[in-house]
Amino acid sequence: MIRSGRALLLGSTLGVASFFATKPAPAQEILLTGPLKGAKAVHDLRLYRKGRVEIAPTATFTLLDEYTRQIFVGGRINYNFTDFLALGVWGGFSPEALKLPSGLVDKIQKVNSDRQAENLARRNATPPLQPTLNNRATVLNMGNNFEDQLGTVDWIVAPQLTFVPFRGKLALFSSIYIDSDFYFFAGPAIASVTERKDCAGTDSTLQGGCSSEAPSGIDDANGDPIPIPNAETYPMEKRIAIAPTFGVGFTFYVNRWNALGFEWRATPFARNTGGFDNHGGGPDQEFPDQSVNSEDRDLKLNQMLSVSWNFYLPLDFQLSE
Amino acid sequence: MKKIGVAFLAAAAVLSAPLLAFGQDDEPADDAEAGAAEETPEEEGGEKPAGEKAEGDDAGLGGICEIDPDACPKLDFDKEAARDIREQVFAVQQLFVLRRWRLEVQPYWAVTLNDQFVSHSSPGMAINFWITNVLAAGISGNYYEPFNTDSEFNFQTRRATRTSVPLTEYQWNANLNFTYTPIVGKLSGFGDFIFQYDAYVVGGVGAISVRPIPVIDPDNRGFNWQTNIAFNAGIGLHIFFNRWLAATLEVRDYVFNDKLENTEIDDTNPQDPDTWYGDTQLTNNVQAQLGISIFFPFSFEYQLPK
Repeated sequence: MIRSGRALLLGSTLGVASFFATKPAPAQEILLTGPLKGAKAVHDLRLYRKGRVEIAPTATFTLLDEYTRQIFVGGRINYNFTDFLALGVWGGFSPEALKLPSGLVDKIQKVNSDRQAENLARRNATPPLQPTLNNRATVLNMGNNFEDQLGTVDWIVAPQLTFVPFRGKLALFSSIYIDSDFYFFAGPAIASVTERKDCAGTDSTLQGGCSSEAPSGIDDANGDPIPIPNAETYPMEKRIAIAPTFGVGFTFYVNRWNALGFEWRATPFARNTGGFDNHGGGPDQEFPDQSVNSEDRDLKLNQMLSVSWNFYLPLDFQLSE
Repeated sequence: MKKIGVAFLAAAAVLSAPLLAFGQDDEPADDAEAGAAEETPEEEGGEKPAGEKAEGDDAGLGGICEIDPDACPKLDFDKEAARDIREQVFAVQQLFVLRRWRLEVQPYWAVTLNDQFVSHSSPGMAINFWITNVLAAGISGNYYEPFNTDSEFNFQTRRATRTSVPLTEYQWNANLNFTYTPIVGKLSGFGDFIFQYDAYVVGGVGAISVRPIPVIDPDNRGFNWQTNIAFNAGIGLHIFFNRWLAATLEVRDYVFNDKLENTEIDDTNPQDPDTWYGDTQLTNNVQAQLGISIFFPFSFEYQLPK
């Protein structure tokens, strides 16, 4: 046991010694003496940004969406005061055709449709039957078509400051060499959001409540009216949300006046993506309260990936000393 | 023998004549073109016939022509100095890190990117042997079992819609894969320091152990781990701190056939395991992997062309 302990100690010591004995090689060794002493690392650097306006059409794709994937068509305009600092604005608009439901929406709607079919069969039975309790339990949370109640972002405008600390080049297959830069940006974002309209109570939406039940005009054997659950479409409304936005991006310069860009962006703000009554009641407001309002919004990071084609004016760049 | 020696000296003298070197511009400079244009009449009208001694030749060659007139080069040095230079200069001439015949050990932490219902975070490890500077063969694996987490989103959706979505938890995976590095680059940070990076693609085949989490009929159902074949593909980034240590960011998709829990309950015999499984669906487990890469041996030597 002692021998194995010594062997372990010896092995650990040798391992640590060999680890720290290795001299790290700095990325770019600086010549402290000789004719290059004090010389700049880069001469005649192409200043792709300094003093130029960047105009960039963008296509922006939302990431990690639960219910609705969106594509924003838009653009970015920046004025680059220096090669590392720019002020500008990014904006995007997502038309209805570019709001795409996820597979989960289809699955939930299939369950909803199956329940509606079962309710119809029970109403048409002899004697007519009430819908089951399970089939009535979702009237505050699901309308006729689940897709119609999903929260979306219609457009975003974001004035932003761009900081470009990293500038370099890359080699592709050791044969194509591309100038590139890596940047950060941040600013306030103004977003137009469509969400389920605020409501309170278990009355039908027709009476200003939150329920999607509608009268069928049919009574059961006891003379009680039979409702049609999940029959109505919930009203929606738009609101403006103001949130921080930030992200990082890569620029790959194709030539003197155009480049390709890839950008990741997050715009965290709370919204109700499913149109559900999730919060507002019980301990810590973590339970449904039979109303749909701002308390039912959950904080989302709202991540997006942008692809851009950047144009620079004037068409030629400056060179550093 | 003597002639060969003199000729060698002459060639060395010619090669040592200073030439202009342009930074990174492969296009001819405007003034160089103008210079060439101005020189044309002189060439046409003033070019000396072959064999005639050019002015300044003796001074440039230090009397070689006097030693052996046959070995005296017939060069117009003014003309040679003014010629357009089209030397090919590579932007990245030397790889910062050579990987060939080195072992890369890559511990990482992985997080799920695309499963809204169950998070499959896990520690993982990849070991790659670099066959060339751009191609490696390796193994990798993740250990998921203690880290499967039912999400808040799953709870909320289930409560609001009364809809049960079949869930799956993972135990482990193990993979054989190849890595290819088509992109290497460097970035200057704040104009002060330079760091190197590369981007790679990775792909392979392996196995993953999974089982359904019983949500439809948890009172009667309990599932055993099952091992499935899984294919994987991904992209990644090395950011080098030095020649043997790098930060690694990778996004990899593990694709496998997942046998889901049956959403229907067999009322006559709910405890029969044959009734527990429902559809089989192709599942993509996309995960982001953040870790470090350590290359062994720590040091290497460049084999520069002679």
